This record gives sequence, C-alpha cells and structure tokens, in this order.
Amino acid sequence: MEVLAKISEALQRGDEKTVSTLTKQALDSQVPPREILDNGLVAGMDVVGRQFAEHAIFLPEVLMAARAMYAGLDLVKPLMEGEDIPSAGKIVLGTVQGDLHDIGKNLVGIMLRGAGMEVVDLGKDVPAERFVETAASEDADLIGMSALLTTTAPVMQEVIDLLRERNLQGKIRTIIGGAPVTDRFAEKIGADAYAFDAARAVEVVKQMVSGDQ
Amino acid sequence: MRKLLEFHMEDILPAREEVLRQQGMPPGKTVSGHIQSVLEEALDEFTNEARPTGILQGLMVDEFEAIFTGEGQNDPEAPLEEIYQQAEGLALFALTIGGKISTNIEELFAGKNFALGAMLDAVASLAADKAVVRTEEQYEKELANRNHHGTELRVLGYSPGYCGWHISAQRKLFKALEPERIGITLNASYLMTPLKSVSGVLVAGPREIHLFKPSFSFCKVCKTYSCHERLQDLKATAT
Repeated sequence: MEVLAKISEALQRGDEKTVSTLTKQALDSQVPPREILDNGLVAGMDVVGRQFAEHAIFLPEVLMAARAMYAGLDLVKPLMEGEDIPSAGKIVLGTVQGDLHDIGKNLVGIMLRGAGMEVVDLGKDVPAERFVETAASEDADLIGMSALLTTTAPVMQEVIDLLRERNLQGKIRTIIGGAPVTDRFAEKIGADAYAFDAARAVEVVKQMVSGDQ
Repeated sequence: MRKLLEFHMEDILPAREEVLRQQGMPPGKTVSGHIQSVLEEALDEFTNEARPTGILQGLMVDEFEAIFTGEGQNDPEAPLEEIYQQAEGLALFALTIGGKISTNIEELFAGKNFALGAMLDAVASLAADKAVVRTEEQYEKELANRNHHGTELRVLGYSPGYCGWHISAQRKLFKALEPERIGITLNASYLMTPLKSVSGVLVAGPREIHLFKPSFSFCKVCKTYSCHERLQDLKATAT
C-alpha cells in the first residue's frame, strides 16, 4: 500500500509532521490501525535500526525517526485498545541501582518500542528487587539492565540471583549492556544475553522472544 | 582553603563538533539541516538555563584517607590509593551545571522530543567535564603561585564510582565538603542531584604520580577509556 510506504519513508527521514498527516490520511481511508503500525511505523523503524547498526546513520537521526514514529503511534494506538493482539514481547528495562546514566537505556527502550515490543521503563537507580518484582507482576519475557560504572555492574548479578532464588530464571530472561559490561561478564554472572549497543540489543531481544536464542 | 567556584559560559560550552562526536557521529560527517537546528537549539537552551557553580576545599593527605576508604567497598587495587599518598596537594570538589537543565532533559524525553533531549544531555555532560578541567586548571594555578620549590605540579580529578574507588565514598566526601550549600544533594544510592553534577578529589603532584598501567581487574571490563585519554595527555605533556 503506497501510503504505508510513504509513512515508512517519512519516518526514516525523521519527518514527524508528514508521518502524522499520512497516518491520519491512512486512517481516514479505513486502513486498519494494526496495518499502519506494522507496515508503516514498525517497518520504517526497522530500516532505521538496521541503518544504525550498519553505522549508516547515527544517534540524532535515530532519535528524530523515533519521534516521528511516536507521531504516528499516538494516533493509531488508541484505536487498537481492546484488540486482542499478541505483543512482540515485553521487557522491563532500567539502569541499575547506584547508576544514573540512562541515555543508552532510553535509546534501547525507544528502539524496542519501535520494533513493536512492550517496554516497562523503570528509569535509573533501580534496585534489584524492583526489577524482579516488576517483571513478575507484568509477566514480562525479559529484564534489560544497563550500567555505566564499573562499581554498579555487580547489581546485575543481584537481579540474576533474585530470579534464581524465586525460580524465575529461564521464565524471565536477562539481557545486559553498558560501558563496563562485556559478553564475558554476562556469562560470568549468568545473564542470558549481552548487547554492546542499542541496535544489537534490539536484534538480540527479537531473537530471544522469538525463541531463536 | 575553601572556596566557591564560578564558571563563565564560554569556558565550559562545548564545541559543536564535540557534541556531535559525543553522540557517535564521526568527525567531519556532513550534518543535515534538521540535526544542525537541534544542535543550535540545545546550545541555546544550555546557555539560557545552565547555572554552573562549584565548591572546592583543600585537605591534608591523612584527612583524605578516611574519605577514600569510604564504606570499605573499594577495589583492593584502586590506583588512586597510591596516587593520593604521593600528592603535594589535595582538594575535594563538587560542581553542578544546575537543576534546570536536568529537569529540562527529563521533560524532553517524557515529551518524546528525544533528539533535543539527547543533544542537551550531551552538551550538559561535556560542559560538566569541562568545568572539572577548569577547576583542575584553577587549582594548579593556585598551587603554582604558592609553590616555592619550583616543581611542576599536575592536577587531575578523580571521582568515586570510577577506577576502583567505590561510589559509596560519596557519603564521607559529602560530609566533609558539604556541597548541599550550593544545592548538590546525595541520595541513598550515593547519586547526586542535580543529575549533571560531578564530585571527587583533585590530586596535585608531579606528573609521574598520575601515571598507571590500566591493567587492574576492573579495567578488563571497563570500556570508558577516559583514563587512557588522560594518560596519553600526561605522556604527551612530559617535559
């Protein structure tokens, strides 16, 4: 459908006004909101994510595209309320306790929403207990943790230990990221996955919820 | 010695190129008009809203020992332990860019204006780093004026939370420095409000005391690399 391709293209340019106008046009033409979401907005954000991963575009461009995505999302989401549509997955996201660096975590959240995931963002300075309690009460598939300080990365271990204690490990899987974190560290603390940047985080999370990882 | 610090906007405002690089854009990359206008808006907002201020207080090496030890959670091999013991001057510092900027960044993200929020965050982070450098320079100058031995002193700042110095040391640092007087407070997780604030210790001594090999256990997992840049800079300025 031409209008959906145009929505996707405008989103990739970060042109929020055009995304908004075209989304309204599509809705007026009786295009189902779910189709606008999947084949216009998510499809556009998918291209943006791939370009970001390939270093063809950079953070400011991604963030402009994300804003454009929300311009459309804010129009279609209310019309989808009550529809029994399975989500692409649910993740509880946060920067660990003792750490306040959240730009990377915010970017991951924005891109995951763009990929159709449900994101519960707990913000920064999040205690281990809160990660686990929220993930359990929200019936989340994943917990995503971020840290920038070498001294706060051990909080990630606390979260994984708590999941183990409550027999939730495996049911709620974990992905970690941030400057002091590596795949070796993830393996050492028993995290299920590690991502070195936001684009990779989206790829890995998609694989995890689809059962490919 | 205890003094309040003031910063001129032109001394801490980062260059446009730096702000873009902070957000992962390679040097020399052509920037679209859209991004350029977001960058200009972020710089304008920062200039209008930032209220940079700080506090500096000198102390003796033995006075610093308890602050460094903090709550006993430092890495067994934190490089600062050896560095501060060789210092010829020490001063605690805390500085902030002000609360309005941090609130504005949060509001921009909440309002889904992500690009401007991230751009302003980058400007404010770089400005806070620059304010630390200005503070180091100022302290270095003061010591040089007082130094009768003629030894060239080099001042570098170290902050809890980095390089094995545990963030819980913030508690004792705050007790000694009382940065609450300039509006910086500490929460239960040892994090500062306003968000764009930096605290730590300035260590003055011969250039050599700051040099260390970044091969500690925590270096293996750290990808910050700011110490590498500082060490390179120290080596480059060797006389």
